[in-house]
Amino acid sequence: MFKIFRIAFSLKNTYRVNTILFSLKQIPLVKRLLPLRLYQSRGLKRLGLVLSIFWEIAGALLGKLLYLLLMVVWAGNLYGKENGTEIYAHLLFFLTLIGAYMNTYLFNPTNDKYYAMILMRMDARKYTLTDYGYTLLRTGLSFLPALLWISFSRGLPLWACLLAPLHILSVKLAAAGLFLRRYEKTGVCSNENLPPGLAWGLTGILLGAAYALPALGLCLPLPLYGALALFSLVPGIFGIIKIAGFTEYRAMYQMLLAQKRCAVDVKQSVQTAVLEQNRKNISKEGGMTTQKEGFAGFQELFMKRHRKILWKSAKRMAGILAAASLGAAGASLISREAALALNGLLLKALPWFAFIMYTVNRGTAFTQALFMNCDRSMLTYSFYKKPAFILRLFRLRLLGIIGVNLLPAGVLAAGMPLILYLSGGTGQVLYYLLYPASILAMSVFFSVHYLTLYYLLQPYTASTELKSGTYRLAVWATYLVCFLLLQVEVPPLLFGILSVVFCLGYCGAACALVYRLAGRTFRIRY
Amino acid sequence: MEFVIEHLEKHFEKKQVLRDVSFTFESGKIYGLLGRNGAGKTTLFNCLNRDMKADGGRFFIREEGKEREVLPEEMGYVLSTPAVPEFLTGREFLKFFMEINRDSIRRPKTIDAYFDQVGIAPEDRDRLLKDYSHGMKNKMQMLVQIIARPSILLLDEPLTSLDVVAAEEMKQLLRSQKQERILIFSTHIMELALDLCDEIVVLNQGILEEIRRENLDQKEFRERILEMLREEGHV
Repeated sequence: MFKIFRIAFSLKNTYRVNTILFSLKQIPLVKRLLPLRLYQSRGLKRLGLVLSIFWEIAGALLGKLLYLLLMVVWAGNLYGKENGTEIYAHLLFFLTLIGAYMNTYLFNPTNDKYYAMILMRMDARKYTLTDYGYTLLRTGLSFLPALLWISFSRGLPLWACLLAPLHILSVKLAAAGLFLRRYEKTGVCSNENLPPGLAWGLTGILLGAAYALPALGLCLPLPLYGALALFSLVPGIFGIIKIAGFTEYRAMYQMLLAQKRCAVDVKQSVQTAVLEQNRKNISKEGGMTTQKEGFAGFQELFMKRHRKILWKSAKRMAGILAAASLGAAGASLISREAALALNGLLLKALPWFAFIMYTVNRGTAFTQALFMNCDRSMLTYSFYKKPAFILRLFRLRLLGIIGVNLLPAGVLAAGMPLILYLSGGTGQVLYYLLYPASILAMSVFFSVHYLTLYYLLQPYTASTELKSGTYRLAVWATYLVCFLLLQVEVPPLLFGILSVVFCLGYCGAACALVYRLAGRTFRIRY
Repeated sequence: MEFVIEHLEKHFEKKQVLRDVSFTFESGKIYGLLGRNGAGKTTLFNCLNRDMKADGGRFFIREEGKEREVLPEEMGYVLSTPAVPEFLTGREFLKFFMEINRDSIRRPKTIDAYFDQVGIAPEDRDRLLKDYSHGMKNKMQMLVQIIARPSILLLDEPLTSLDVVAAEEMKQLLRSQKQERILIFSTHIMELALDLCDEIVVLNQGILEEIRRENLDQKEFRERILEMLREEGHV
């Protein structure tokens, strides 16, 4: 048993180390420092191993900490300080029940399992028992530090914190036992990644019980939580007996992992999935035609047939922003306190709109659809790569995406001055012009930015992989700058003027660069 | 017209894929480009189609003794995985293609006449290309090259995944297209190359070399090709 575990762990570790080395190779500058025979280098393998072990431990610990902080502590605090510890236990209880059947580990058809049991022909039972045992142990242990932290900082009794991991493992074991029993009786094999409608329904009910009951003042008393958690050990033991005695793992996994049989080449399967997903974004309903000729018609049909991911999404976002703006305007009229709060917020929040514009922008969805459903094919035709044609289409596309993004931006640009006025206004009349101008300029900026990055760096390969490290860095840096703007306090007048000037300057420079370079840079990568 | 490649080189890091590719292709012929898996056939095509920058060497057209650069529109490339814009219908694709290339298409026919030429049924012509079968997409890809009539047509294993009927139709289509053009047909299926192509060239160890039939019968010719492909150190 231990030998099997050692081999399986070593196998998993080997491809994890290789993945880390491969990722390092994708970083610009770093890749130049790495030797050609990357995967033969002992030093790099050791470095990969250290990172892999660090990831195994830190990833598990951080994951559980984030989960508890977000779903239990932060959410629990929203109900106020009263019954704080009981609410934590209440939330933990119901979320644990959801995790029991939605996150089983045993029924997750991962590549590890495919490689070990199908490709390497390991003994399925021994592999499953050791791998599952290790996963459960790691889960229980990685919950402990976060729970202890909650215990010390938030006052949740220590006994409850120690009982919680046992409860989590018990209900997982019980659910796994039930699924195995169902397989024996009916031959139906559960797939964790494709939960049936019943599971989603049950999740809705349990989420309701978790988050709605405390809002109504109802909460599991701590002693009841303790009793239920203790009681769960009984079905947990049933689960252990079932899992240990089950003999049909090979047959069951053969069925569960069947879809991976055609996808030994992970790259190929990812490519197929990406293409299939993008194909679904194409719609052709009645009346989707064009009267235009040449590239103008070509582009118009692209926009129309991708309206599901472009226009529908922009309209939905515009609707949400309109409702929020009207809500805020209404609140300003009804409540003096709300008006004051909104006015104060708006007078310092202009930099936040950079992040909002970043969030509502459809630039990345647009460029991805452009590549997957259009340029991936068209760039193989010589005529399409003529610089004059590239620029003609760039212009049409730029106008198209600016139009899409201006819809939600326009709603916001109209709503903000209105809320500002209704919430008490400002002595600076210029603000009424500067707010909409800045919002619209930022919207145009993001449209130009993503399309320019796409044309200058064309990051995708023919097999739909995102290969350009520079593109990744640029996208990440965009997010970082927008996020940092949430943290800084800049006078609105200064930010407004600077943002408009910067956006206009950037758009001019970006378009000039595209006109100079895109004829050479807009190519398929191999 | 001749298409001349001189000392073309391409390497990926230290791996030299194209070592010193030099060859002269003549118009009116279909050339079968044979090579083992990983020999660099697709890399050669990508360099010729300018999708990839070569590290050295050049290629050009020689006409009546004069050399000139290959214009982008003179080079056509048909991939083994058909590349068509899936958000358009077959008819729309041809319509836009013809409108965009209006100035360079000689003696254009009607769209339906083109569809008839490759045997795409009337009921399929207004369906989205994403719903076309692999063979139909391949025909569309070929059709665009038939309309554009580039002087040089690179075909990267275009018959590999077609059913027998579609493959036979495609072979007929290719034979009908070779007049006044150079077709370079990459494949690793020797029978296909022998059946379809006028000349056989082998890419081995980064070098391109013609294998002459001379007085050899089919069996001896096959043996000679195999022998050449097997030679690890062949230079």
